[in-house]
Amino acid sequence: MMNTSTEHYHQLARDAFMPQPGRIVEIADMTAKDRYFRVELEKPLGHRPGQFVMVSVMGVGEAPISISNGPGDDNTLEMVIRRIGRLTQVIHDLKVGDTMGIRGPYGSWFDLENFYGRDVLFVAGGLGLVPLRSLIVPVLAEADRFGKITLISGCRNPAEELYCDQLNEWTEAGLEVIRLVDCTENMPWQFGVGLVTAPIPKLKLDPGKTVAALCGPPVMYKFVIAALGARDVSYNNIYVDLERRMKCGVGKCGHCQINKIYCCQDGPVFRFSDLALLPEAL
Amino acid sequence: MSYYLATKKELIDWIQRLAAENQLYFPEKHGEASYRFNRVGPKSEIQFDRYIPTVVPPVKLLVPAREELLRFRTDAEGKTEVQPSLDTSFRVIAGVRSCDLKGISLMDLFFKDGVPDAYYLARRENTAIIGYSCNTPCDESAFCAAVDSLDHTEGADVYVTPVKEGDLLVEVKTSLGEKLTAGVDWKKCEDPEARRIGAVTARPEPFGRSFPAPLPDTMKIVADKYQSAVWEKHVKRCFSCGTCNLVCPTCYCFDVVDDLNLDAASGNRSRSWDGCMLPHFAEVSGGHNFRAEPAARQRHRVNRKFTYLPEKYEHGAVCVGCGRCGRQCTSHIDIFDIVTDLIQEGSR
Ligand SMILES: Cc1cc2nc3c(=O)[nH]c(=O)nc-3n(C[C@H](O)[C@H](O)[C@H](O)COP(=O)(O)OP(=O)(O)OC[C@H]3O[C@@H](n4cnc5c(N)ncnc54)[C@H](O)[C@@H]3O)c2cc1C
Ligand code: SF4
Ligand code: SF4
Repeated sequence: MMNTSTEHYHQLARDAFMPQPGRIVEIADMTAKDRYFRVELEKPLGHRPGQFVMVSVMGVGEAPISISNGPGDDNTLEMVIRRIGRLTQVIHDLKVGDTMGIRGPYGSWFDLENFYGRDVLFVAGGLGLVPLRSLIVPVLAEADRFGKITLISGCRNPAEELYCDQLNEWTEAGLEVIRLVDCTENMPWQFGVGLVTAPIPKLKLDPGKTVAALCGPPVMYKFVIAALGARDVSYNNIYVDLERRMKCGVGKCGHCQINKIYCCQDGPVFRFSDLALLPEAL
Repeated sequence: MSYYLATKKELIDWIQRLAAENQLYFPEKHGEASYRFNRVGPKSEIQFDRYIPTVVPPVKLLVPAREELLRFRTDAEGKTEVQPSLDTSFRVIAGVRSCDLKGISLMDLFFKDGVPDAYYLARRENTAIIGYSCNTPCDESAFCAAVDSLDHTEGADVYVTPVKEGDLLVEVKTSLGEKLTAGVDWKKCEDPEARRIGAVTARPEPFGRSFPAPLPDTMKIVADKYQSAVWEKHVKRCFSCGTCNLVCPTCYCFDVVDDLNLDAASGNRSRSWDGCMLPHFAEVSGGHNFRAEPAARQRHRVNRKFTYLPEKYEHGAVCVGCGRCGRQCTSHIDIFDIVTDLIQEGSR
């Protein structure tokens, strides 16, 4: 009886759910289960630090993955993907020259305006270094526009450390990098042992001037924020990058809900003071 | 806007005529006491009288249990072609009660918001709705009046109110409704408002169950009682089966799954109903579950209806009081009882 023009809806569907092809141009093993992928897209992603993409292999599935490269206007997308389940296993089996589907970028981001002129402290736990790298890179590129720049990077054991070569380069470039493992597990390790919270009490830190960016496993945030709070760093100056289960990335599937907000749209990057009234946030 | 007075027979003949030409759905009795929205065929019985809300609400015809989002095909060179799958076929849903109409209006709001959902909106635009007003509460489970959905008529193209024995006031509310009623020879109604008010004032008072506090206070109490022993009380009997999510007219969370055809080169991606009461709903890759406890999941479900979505959409309660979750739960866990307990906690 009635059948309105469907082109409008086809366009909406394409905008929301159709991935664009990304061709893998480089693969590197970072740890036994974490693999680095550099992908060439057909057009620039136009992302900001802290945003994520939905990565898919048609016929297998789709997952949210952080963008690890800094913003730029070329067609590159860098990611580090941990093999943990069905889709990530299939992604690990892909070869240079294969394609994966990419849609996005999605979510909120770290706004550099909030960091200029300040001391910057990055705290990364495990895979958290992957998204934080998208902020560290642009900060280091304009290092003279910031005060002291420090990175505390922790992981379970020496074999699980990500971006090792990059950490060396950053150290040479003048970034203070505190590298930690929870436990050496009898592997050779020339850096510190302890949780990422351990260095915070002794850190040379001007609380009024410091802004912190945090990303790590769910258990990490409470403790790091408490340690920073004890050093009088204001909650207004603490940014967190949170993980939730996500199926759509466009604020509909409900999985990423944190009380009344949707992590995929209002987050994943939040100013911590904005989360104060959300008991499910940390 | 046109107004008619039709007899029951005239209305049923009209529905049957529409069903002969269109995909038309109407509540049909299943077993002893339950109803389902089924496709009406030449032998279907159209009973406009007392049917309790169907097991699954009519809005689920617009968000099916599983729906294809896209199809893909990879050619010999390895190039993958991806096409969205959209259902734009025309359908009519008739016999939709006010609670379910409100459910549809709320889904309209949710799916239009932010990134518009092409799949829902395409179906919705191609769906005509014939609403039916309630003069008596359908059973002991409903509490539509308590959440302001008893007189919800928005979203209906045609709205039918039984005004007195045998007579039905038919309000044609949209141009699509005009198309559906084109050519009917029913008596014109000159005093629709008076007739409607007559029907409404003849209703029993109170109409079904009511909360021990007015709705705005009720919503504020739910929001304030984030820490409460009530969250532990009812959930002791909960199996985390998610039925309450699946039957709710305002639940729309989904999972996304891919299917690969046997040729290993083509397939589809689809979404299917999911539920926040299911144990793994908020689990992430490290194994952390943000709502591991059933009580945390129940609090989330109740808050979504009374706090979270109302705040996000600046709307009243998003529970429409249909009573389905209580009716279908094996353990008789009823959102009405949970909310009532929250209101009464500490005040007895
Ligand atoms: C914003 C964001 C950024 C992320 N960035 C990265 C990243 O840079 N690198 C990386 O390796 N991983 C990242 N993840 C996690 C990644 O999405 C999951 O590891 C992935 O979805 C698992 O898919 P799978 O099919 O391999 O696992 P499955 O076989 O589906 O399940 C394995 C485990 O993953 C969990 N899981 C399943 N689906 C999801 C989902 N949609 N979201 C979260 N967890 C899920 C399951 O609960 C289970 O514990 C990120 C997640 C989010 C939300
Ligand atoms: S239907 Fe009942 S038992 Fe099942 S999840 Fe809902 S409250 Fe729990
Ligand atoms: S929460 Fe229960 S009563 Fe309320 S709309 Fe959903 S199914 Fe109906």
